[in-house]
Amino acid sequence: MTALLTLHELTHDYGKARALHGISLTIEPGAIGLVGQNGAGKSTMMQILLGLIRPTHGSATVLGHDVRTSGVHLRGRVGFMPDRESVVAGLKGVESVALAGELCGMPRRQAMRRAHETLSYLGLEDARYRKLEQYSLGMLQRLKLAAALVHDPDLLLLDEPTAGLDPEGRSAMLALLSALAGRPGKSLVLSSHLLGDIERVCHKAVILNQGRVVGVGSLAELRADRQRGYHLDWEGEAGGFLDRLRALGADVFVDQQHTAAASRPAGRGRAMVPNDWETRTFFQEARRHGILLTGIEPVEEDLDAIYRRVIEGSVPAPIAAPSTGAATP
Amino acid sequence: MSFEPTRYRDWSGTLRPTWLACWPIARTGLLLVLRRKIFWGLLALGLLNFLFVFATIYLKAQVAAQNPALSRFVNRVLSSVTGSGETYRDFMFAQGTVTVLLLALAGAMLVGDDLRQGGLAFYLSRRMTRFHYVVGKLLSIGLLVALTTTVPALILFIEYGLLSNSTAYFRENLGILRGILGYGLILSVTLSLLLFAMASWLRKTVPLVMGWTCLFVLVPALAALLRRVFDDRKWMLLMLWRDIRLLGTWCFGGIDSDREQQLLAPAAVIVAVVCLLSIIAFIPRIRAARVVQ
Repeated sequence: MTALLTLHELTHDYGKARALHGISLTIEPGAIGLVGQNGAGKSTMMQILLGLIRPTHGSATVLGHDVRTSGVHLRGRVGFMPDRESVVAGLKGVESVALAGELCGMPRRQAMRRAHETLSYLGLEDARYRKLEQYSLGMLQRLKLAAALVHDPDLLLLDEPTAGLDPEGRSAMLALLSALAGRPGKSLVLSSHLLGDIERVCHKAVILNQGRVVGVGSLAELRADRQRGYHLDWEGEAGGFLDRLRALGADVFVDQQHTAAASRPAGRGRAMVPNDWETRTFFQEARRHGILLTGIEPVEEDLDAIYRRVIEGSVPAPIAAPSTGAATP
Repeated sequence: MSFEPTRYRDWSGTLRPTWLACWPIARTGLLLVLRRKIFWGLLALGLLNFLFVFATIYLKAQVAAQNPALSRFVNRVLSSVTGSGETYRDFMFAQGTVTVLLLALAGAMLVGDDLRQGGLAFYLSRRMTRFHYVVGKLLSIGLLVALTTTVPALILFIEYGLLSNSTAYFRENLGILRGILGYGLILSVTLSLLLFAMASWLRKTVPLVMGWTCLFVLVPALAALLRRVFDDRKWMLLMLWRDIRLLGTWCFGGIDSDREQQLLAPAAVIVAVVCLLSIIAFIPRIRAARVVQ
């Protein structure tokens, strides 16, 4: 099977500023999430994947096409849904999508027929003959997706596809993208700040930071690198207990302190522990310090947490636990 | 938002050559212009001159066939329509006002809006390059120019030939056909490049109309003033529309006077420089456009 993306020492400079630093990656077809802060290099990467700019150094192939030499032909197999408003003002919905098809090389009649099909598929059947100026933001997002889909591309490049959508529209768009990603022979690269979107649609994520890939793999693989963590609930004066856990090598964060029944202090927190940590240590130390552990469950890291961990190199700074363990309201 | 994942159908077919992408761009440009009523009004205005010449040719042919005695009188009164190269050249020159007005108002819609509202990103993210986009847009502007100048002139040429009751007119006046096409081509190319360059910088209709007015009204007025002050005809070269007309006259093979012959080369240089400067002006604007923000 041809790799979806093959990047080798990919570097791109804008003048003296380096946007991408020697990225090497091979990604198999599927749904890929592209995550990164502003300035991480996502846009540059997207432009290179579309064959719109040539990398300064290194090479990149998308669906087997070299982006340096086959950018135009590559765009015949790729559908791009931009983040920004990118429509030809004055056209009707179906004309706009058909034009996109024609510009991708489809014969006129087929482009028009396919535009009707695609708009119907995306729920814009009734708005086909409306001018684009009369479309709502959500409808424009769908229209842009229709324009990206009209020539039935093998790869969809999506830049913030749910931007500006209401919760219902967002959910429907993500369901749609998931369905598209599940079709045989179809892949998508989804660039988004909304990690929940990527988590819902993509099986793999590429995390970019300052032009470098700092994490790549399936969510399970990315989680595998994490520290083990537990959510803890306790009752009693926990100061000594938490200090002891820290002394044993755990990072402890107190999320909440309150007063339980019978004015007994209680709290909730997280403990990130070394890999050789045994769970029973919690119980042993709790018993030794006279506190009652009322709950213990492993921390499930979502993409947001993975992202923060990978980008920042650590989870959020710990909140200092009061040494006395005094309850606060 | 409702959709049925099962309704998605694959498409298989052969994609057309990339250069054909220019045509949908040009066609869409024309469609956008012709969708506005104001442009139909301007085209109708341009049609008035056309109808006058059309009717004159018809009238002269009818009178010549039915009342030869009256024909001499009619020919003297309507001496501007003779079926020679000058008839068509002057007609195309006279269409200038409407053409320039039409382009001033259409420029923002054809080019400016693409740069302002992301239309360019729409085009460039498809299976085409910036070059195809530029050619497509130039083609749409050129077709608009041809619609008001070359096409009516060709219709008049055909009318004159058909009413002469002989194919000899066509055979003997192939030079006129070359002249119409040549003058039309110079008009289309020069005005397309100029409008594209100005619209890529000024973008909105009002600044574009002001810039266009400056070029086609104020500069010619200044040129006329300078000519009078310095008593030198070369100042007239600042009038772009006249320079193009001079080249048009050359296309019709009608440059007889030494004075015109002397101005021909400078006029050609000015038109070429305008075209070159226009290209130099719009290239950075198109290059700067980004598909991914």
